[in-house]
Amino acid sequence: MNATKNVPGTAPGIRRLVAAAALTGLFAAPAAGQDIPDRPEELVFPDFLFETPDGGDVHHRLANGVPVVIVEDHTLPLVRLAVSLRIGSFLDPEDQVGLASLTATMMREGGAGDRTPEELDERIEFLAARISVSAQDTEARASLRTITPVFEESLELFFDVLMQPRFDEGRFAVRKENVREDLRQRNDDADNLLAREWDFLLYGRDSYLGRRMTVGHLDAIAKDDLAEFHRRAWRPEHMVWSVSGDVDTAEILAVLEERLGAWPEAPDAFDVPWPPPHDAPAPAPGIYHVEKDIPQGKVRIGNLAPRWDSWDNPERAAIQVMDHILGASGFTSRIMQRVRSDEGLAYGAGGRFGFNPLGPSAYSMGYQSKSSTVALAGAIALEEVRRIRDEPVSPEELDLAKRSLVDSFPRRFESAQARAGIFANDAFLRRDHGYWIRWREQIEAVTADDVMAAARKYLRPEEMVMLVVGVWEDIAPGDPEGRADMTDLLNGEVTHLPGRDPLTLEALSPEGQER
Amino acid sequence: MLRKPSRAAPAAALLTALVVTPVVPPEAVAAQARVPVEEFELDNGMRFLAVVRPEMTTVAAGWAAHVGSANERPGITGMSHFFEHMMFKGTPTVGTSDAERDEAIIEEQEALQEQIRAVYRDRRAAARLGHIGDPFGDEDLPEEMATLRQQFDALVDEQRTLMVKDEFDRIYTEAGATGMNAFTSHDQTVYFITVPQNRLELWFWMESERLLRPVFREFYAERDVVHEERRLRTESTPTGEFDETFDAMFWQSHPYSWPIIGWPSDLRVFTLAQAQEFYDTYYVPGNLTGALVGNFDLEEAKALAEKYFGRLRPGAEAPDVVTLEMEQKAGKRLDASCDCQPQVRIRYHTVPFRHRDQYALDVLAGLMNGRTGRLYKTLVLGDEIASSAAAFQQNRKWAGLIEITAEARGEATPDDLEAAIERELQRLIDEPIPAEEIQKVKNQAAASAWEQLDSGFFLLLQLLVYDSLGDWNYMNEWADATLAVTEEDIKRVARQYLVPTNRAVAHYTRKAGTSAEPVPAELADLPEAVQRQILAQIRQIRESTDRVALEGALEQFAAMRSQAPPPMQGAMEYVEQAIRERLAELPSPGEEAR
Repeated sequence: MNATKNVPGTAPGIRRLVAAAALTGLFAAPAAGQDIPDRPEELVFPDFLFETPDGGDVHHRLANGVPVVIVEDHTLPLVRLAVSLRIGSFLDPEDQVGLASLTATMMREGGAGDRTPEELDERIEFLAARISVSAQDTEARASLRTITPVFEESLELFFDVLMQPRFDEGRFAVRKENVREDLRQRNDDADNLLAREWDFLLYGRDSYLGRRMTVGHLDAIAKDDLAEFHRRAWRPEHMVWSVSGDVDTAEILAVLEERLGAWPEAPDAFDVPWPPPHDAPAPAPGIYHVEKDIPQGKVRIGNLAPRWDSWDNPERAAIQVMDHILGASGFTSRIMQRVRSDEGLAYGAGGRFGFNPLGPSAYSMGYQSKSSTVALAGAIALEEVRRIRDEPVSPEELDLAKRSLVDSFPRRFESAQARAGIFANDAFLRRDHGYWIRWREQIEAVTADDVMAAARKYLRPEEMVMLVVGVWEDIAPGDPEGRADMTDLLNGEVTHLPGRDPLTLEALSPEGQER
Repeated sequence: MLRKPSRAAPAAALLTALVVTPVVPPEAVAAQARVPVEEFELDNGMRFLAVVRPEMTTVAAGWAAHVGSANERPGITGMSHFFEHMMFKGTPTVGTSDAERDEAIIEEQEALQEQIRAVYRDRRAAARLGHIGDPFGDEDLPEEMATLRQQFDALVDEQRTLMVKDEFDRIYTEAGATGMNAFTSHDQTVYFITVPQNRLELWFWMESERLLRPVFREFYAERDVVHEERRLRTESTPTGEFDETFDAMFWQSHPYSWPIIGWPSDLRVFTLAQAQEFYDTYYVPGNLTGALVGNFDLEEAKALAEKYFGRLRPGAEAPDVVTLEMEQKAGKRLDASCDCQPQVRIRYHTVPFRHRDQYALDVLAGLMNGRTGRLYKTLVLGDEIASSAAAFQQNRKWAGLIEITAEARGEATPDDLEAAIERELQRLIDEPIPAEEIQKVKNQAAASAWEQLDSGFFLLLQLLVYDSLGDWNYMNEWADATLAVTEEDIKRVARQYLVPTNRAVAHYTRKAGTSAEPVPAELADLPEAVQRQILAQIRQIRESTDRVALEGALEQFAAMRSQAPPPMQGAMEYVEQAIRERLAELPSPGEEAR
């Protein structure tokens, strides 16, 4: 098929996207009963020349160096504004895990400026604005969503939250008790359990990527700690702003210039290491199991990979093509086809390489299957890992993956909000906008040899760990037809991980190993 | 497209002066927050909704069949959802290299499945008499079954050699289309995808082909996938199975009582012929709506719709669901224990989609919700008995409900939560509702009227969902209707619907021995079931005030311990310790118990 080909253009400016896409006149006006082909290959499509927008066009810099991405779109009276900071839970002290996250939560909940928590909530909800503040491992983020008629007042409230949070004692006490309830529940859902134990296993409990808050950490965090963390970490020098919607670029820049210029000094500001140092010893390969009384086994399989420190590395494109073929493209991927379509063993099955420019990358696969076929589905997934390392992918698969990646590329830039998000993320990662200009050419250039080389380098069966949550007694023997049992997978070594007290995460029994 | 609103925003300037001023004047919402839909109908009765958005780089495209689990009956529950899966299997030219043999294999498979179903019929009979347990289990399977399964598997293997796996998906993927998926609800089945703007004709070809000549291959392998989906969504989630029970209890006569995914026993035995009949009844053009949102030419789209979907033969009008929900005459209660936080769900029957009371009920739910909503203020911040609380109003095609949920905090019980929620609902009836509070909810409605138009893909889904519920025009009407709701309207619907005889309440309590109750090291080596028993005993001990019984138990344990197997000895010692601690807390003999 391939009646079309995408040719990255040369003329600048986003507006031309629309012009280039004009279809008028390319279809003959069809009459009912006109011949309809028996196969879709016979359809002829008009060309669609999508020119990758240049992030440089919407990228600005304040006097203090803070990057601001603004994409205007006046079709609806809506405004979205967000600020990302290069801070996060990696800054949490060892005995106060969760401090960055709680600080973010309480910035929103604890009152701000001259408003008590009640007054702040009432005003925000009366204006029908949405303000949210959160902190993840390596990024803190605050965002505002509002309608144009109340943008100005909403922005005032947003800056109060950012700059003058009050961390009200009473609200903090309520939040702590609610967090305690969240902690209490964290063994209930098997998916949560799987995610937590996976992070422990892959990154280690001391790593900022693996560690989790305990009730001890929670009790050790006081109101003053929140205020101190806010003062030392929420600083303009870590910020990247993005704005999209019904705004005027010059007006926004003037407001941000004024507000950020007035940010209070903090002599004790954190000296933030970037990227955050991470030293993750690879986990011992093998199978790990956590007992949970559910009729399925929930599974992850994977291995660590180095930090992704260069976006110029052409392996990026080869890995994406490999991913598409192996496990990341839903029904088109080999793993889904074999595990779900052929065998009916799972509702969802797949795998993906996680590029992490700030810490360790990882390849991970996941699925869930009834207890007796956990081993069989795992054997199939691992067989596919070996196959993509040992055999070149077929020209048809290679072409399908490339066409899919290249032809779906324009959708990434579909809306003002999407474009602002992409280019602000570039600024956050300090990635040059040429990345997107080169993106499709790099995908087009990938060969079957490149895919195999990437698979061999980044998929490492001998280093893989497999984590299973479920009833071991039902899972271990495998399927009744004897096609696979758990000893057939990886090196066959099984470590039974202990159940953990949900509040302290302390083991409730010693770890055991069997062969 | 929408006109750009004035940037002067006079409403915002007024805000500081007069608190209850709406943030957007209602007339502005009425005039501007409109989705400009082009509607057209083909000769065969299929309707299309189109929204042209030149700023998009793609077209979000989809169609809805106005059929869901409510259209099923006992014996074929889950059929609508199963259909959604089958619709991706292809056509005579997509998905197989040999359509003729493929069709023959499907027939042979069906004949074998008929024999397998006969075995199940016998096994259901045997199970009724208590000779076997699960009729679908492997216990005492007749040898015949193994032979049938082998023969069936051989046919599957042969079919697979002819199949072009997941070709339907592959064709779209290769064309740069993304997000192909579908969902099934009680009232509709919706299929959608986003295609590059130059591939719109591919969408017309693919979708009309699978409607015109679907082939339900891999019927039985797909059934296993649905079983896995059921395990995933229902059986492996903390409250999944009880949520199903609650639905079955809440709906007395209406088909909303069974789960969308179906009862497992039906999934085991429904037939290809039943599927075909279902398809012929409900997948007729007059029961379908197509929709496009994105960058395309309207006239071309109309011509393509006629060319491709015009091929579908008109069918008989799809039958209505005629069973009405009986008026509830007595309150209903469910008590369940699970691996979950203690929580409560309170439900009342309300009204179907676009009923004139829907909007007042929506505002009522709005008063309850959010960080300044009445539930959060009272249960979370005031009484500090809940970690979260929310209300939602759902108006389905044939009937509706309002539900209030809350999760307990600390030592609070579902009873505490229920009482507090009831108090809040009663306050709506007994006390005046401040104008500012109602205005807040209306302001949020005004903002949502615009926000709902923001994403092209989301707009597509809303058009399809609302149209299959009754009328897509709801999107352009609901905000105005909501802005017109008065305090008296809210009180009236509260008095009418929020009454005890119209209510169903579910209490979820934490199952003994589950994660929130740490298993002490002394019990760690025991099987989980035994751990649970012991922890339940210990809880009883801690609540007991009967000194005599406790002392008796202590003696018994001490006597039995020496003969118990080693892993049990530690556990028994642990229980004895708990009894001693409890005895120490109780008033000594002779002292008056309070």
